[in-house]
Amino acid sequence: MVRAIRGVLIECEPAIKSIIVHLDSANNDIIIEDLDEQHLVVKENMVHVLKQKLEDRLKETYRPEEPLADSD
Amino acid sequence: MSTPGPATPRSLESDVMSDADDVDEDVDEAQKEREAMLAKEADDFVNKFTLGKRLQSDDKGKELRRYDAATGFFRKRDYSQIPLKPNHQQCPLWIDPENFTIILERFHPAAQKATDFLTTIAEPRSRPTFLHEYVLTMHSLYAAVSVGLRPKDIIDTLDRFLKTPLPPAVRMKIEETTKKYGKVKLVLKKNKYYVESVDAKILQILLKDEVIGALRVHGSDTTSFAPTMGGLVIPGTQNAAGVHQANLKQQDKKSDEEQGATASEGDLFATLNEEEDDDDKEAVHAFEILDNSVETVQKRCLDIGFPILEEYDFRNDDVNPNLEIDLRPNTQIRPYQEKSLSKMFGNGRAKSGIIVLPCGAGKTLVGITAACTIKKGVIVLCTSSMSVQQWRQEFLKWSNINPDDIAIFTAESKNKFSSSTGIIVTTYSMVTNSRERSHDSKKMMDFLRGREWGLMLLDEVHVVPAEMFRRVISSIKSHSKLGLTATLLREDDKISDLNFLIGPKLYEANWMELSQQGHIAKVQCAEVWCPMPTEFYDQYLRADGRMKRTLYAMNPRKFQACQYLINYHEKRGDKIIVFSDELYSLKQYALKLKKVFIYGGTSQSERMHVLENFQHNPDVNTLFLSKIGDTSLDLPEATCLIQISSHFGSRRQEAQRLGRILRAKRRNDEGFNAFFYSLVSKDTQEMYYSSKRQAFLVDQGYAFKVITQLANIEQTPDLAFSTPQEMRELLQRTLVDNDKGVEEDVETDDLFGKVGGGGGRRKKGNGGLAGVRRMAGTLGELSGGQDMAYIEQNKAANKALKKPKKGENQSAFFKKLQREKEKAKQATRAAK
Repeated sequence: MVRAIRGVLIECEPAIKSIIVHLDSANNDIIIEDLDEQHLVVKENMVHVLKQKLEDRLKETYRPEEPLADSD
Repeated sequence: MSTPGPATPRSLESDVMSDADDVDEDVDEAQKEREAMLAKEADDFVNKFTLGKRLQSDDKGKELRRYDAATGFFRKRDYSQIPLKPNHQQCPLWIDPENFTIILERFHPAAQKATDFLTTIAEPRSRPTFLHEYVLTMHSLYAAVSVGLRPKDIIDTLDRFLKTPLPPAVRMKIEETTKKYGKVKLVLKKNKYYVESVDAKILQILLKDEVIGALRVHGSDTTSFAPTMGGLVIPGTQNAAGVHQANLKQQDKKSDEEQGATASEGDLFATLNEEEDDDDKEAVHAFEILDNSVETVQKRCLDIGFPILEEYDFRNDDVNPNLEIDLRPNTQIRPYQEKSLSKMFGNGRAKSGIIVLPCGAGKTLVGITAACTIKKGVIVLCTSSMSVQQWRQEFLKWSNINPDDIAIFTAESKNKFSSSTGIIVTTYSMVTNSRERSHDSKKMMDFLRGREWGLMLLDEVHVVPAEMFRRVISSIKSHSKLGLTATLLREDDKISDLNFLIGPKLYEANWMELSQQGHIAKVQCAEVWCPMPTEFYDQYLRADGRMKRTLYAMNPRKFQACQYLINYHEKRGDKIIVFSDELYSLKQYALKLKKVFIYGGTSQSERMHVLENFQHNPDVNTLFLSKIGDTSLDLPEATCLIQISSHFGSRRQEAQRLGRILRAKRRNDEGFNAFFYSLVSKDTQEMYYSSKRQAFLVDQGYAFKVITQLANIEQTPDLAFSTPQEMRELLQRTLVDNDKGVEEDVETDDLFGKVGGGGGRRKKGNGGLAGVRRMAGTLGELSGGQDMAYIEQNKAANKALKKPKKGENQSAFFKKLQREKEKAKQATRAAK
């Protein structure tokens, strides 16, 4: 039987795509199809969760915790 | 398999959800979100007004408050109720009465005068082109008093420059602070420590204190008269040439910064100061304290609010022999150098403190001039053995000192000077090394400890941890200390310790001003954004902290940008330095681009050889440097700087690196610009660090351009890693190399790790292995059969083919099927 899943096509920068793939790799519950460098199809009901996760991740990237104090 | 819905949004805009009308909960979410946003906006809007109202009702001068479109932005810091002076147009300063921030209109005709005054009493925060921001701090006021300004002078002058009447809070702060600070001085006279003050009452307070009172040497109280600047002439200033006494021109210039005293002890220096006629002969009271209690007294005084100033009356010191040293007659010091030194020798004695000048603005010459003024034994401490050599050469270049009188104390050479006194140049680590020493250096240390030095010159003071300073200062006795640095900042808060270990900040130069006057080069700063290729970024996301740093440094696009910039600037005839903190990438870049490089492991002789070539060989135009080159490396040939990786968000490193090109030889050529590029991998932490790093330079008035695309980069001949295959290879190699060679990557030549260049750690390691050891192992291991090299070579060939390993040879489709199968299995298992 053919199953149909509602999906959303996402077009984004390669870097963002990489992040999404990375997020997906934990449970494989976001991405339906990995199309190319800039396009992805994700599950429609996950879009909101994904947005939230993505935002958190970007915050991390731009405000990382200081890993080291000034060492010298 | 996947059927895109009828409404397929193409992006993740916030209103995407409203299209998907059949999913109720999403719509709700979106609406909620929007409502929340509206509500917040409305709140903000209301808040603006309520805040305004509240303030209005509080203020007495509410009719004076002006309202306009911008009022809301000022919030609590709206001071429009403070009336302007009638002549406010002639005044260049604004003040914030609550946090003591002073804003200077740099474009104002009176700005220059105000700047001179402000640099004396306040600390510069930010100095871009038109508006400068200064802040009055405890330390800055302390420094102002230490150069002889009186609170009354500060208040009056500030009041004169302000557009508004001086707020009472500021007046209070100045009075309070200056009352406490700088009133008590610690003087080494005839090798005895005296606590001295012009105010007998303060001495009474100190003597009554249980700690200090007990440390006093009885019967030693004296009263004398404060000396003036008198006939002291800082060598190298315009008026030093020829006339050596009673130089009235200079006297006038300095008199407003001087302490009110006219007559000096000796007849020789009885120069009269016209401006200060009222307070004749200010009496100075002093009592002696025990030699070994100096630190205790200093600490105690600080605790009870009377920090001690240290001064050295070197002209009346007849115990320590004089050093034959003078600046060469043709040496002219620059106006700002003179200004900084006049702060140090403000009243004819040498004050301890820190002078902040940009890199390349002649800090060394300031140090040498100070040594020539004091003319006593000098000990110079610098950060590396390389700069030890440079200091010695500078001394020989600028002064007439006998080459035998200036000695070097490093791991390689341990000389002493021939005559009774002289100059010793050494490194911080040599003097603070607490490990066992060789016989020679131990003897040398005893020699250093056993003497009394006139001046201790501390190069690059910002890098030295406070603990190390304490050790230096406690082991070597010197009458005065002068710290030199370009960037008095650290990411930790240790900088304030220096205020008490060395002394207050005496002078800080304005970078932009110096570059306009041609003393340092004009620099174009740019930040180049290099996108990460997908493979790299995927790895980056998975990697741990250290590997992340390696990956963003090894980004092939960055590599290409670097190559492109090197090509471009070599064609223009620039000499280029490329900086990398990350040792692995430094080597990879340099090897791939076939350029010379220096890092911690490079031996001293090789370093010298490479540097020589970089300076004089027209074929060697690019030099790769690890962080050992950040400071104290004098390369006036360099005109372009590329930074490929750096130490997190260290503002100081950024400024220090910029300093490498500020002294460019060609800076006075018509239309000359030096270039500073910072290569940043996009979407990584580097972006954040980079903006943080720039903060200091932006405050100094530099502007960073962002370059997102380098024009025609793909046309570069032999562009490295231009095919995806090469990029993949690079990635694989990077991962493999960094997995096995973790230790190799540790920068061995940390400035304080050890002395005399690299190799020490490795030697030690070899020494450890040299002994015979018994161990179990296979024969194959001994014959090299288990060596990684074998596997590695095979891999390289495979990598090019990119043959997937077993288990990876499925398409994404089959993988997915398998995953789903497994999930179903797990689900059934869980159901059971």
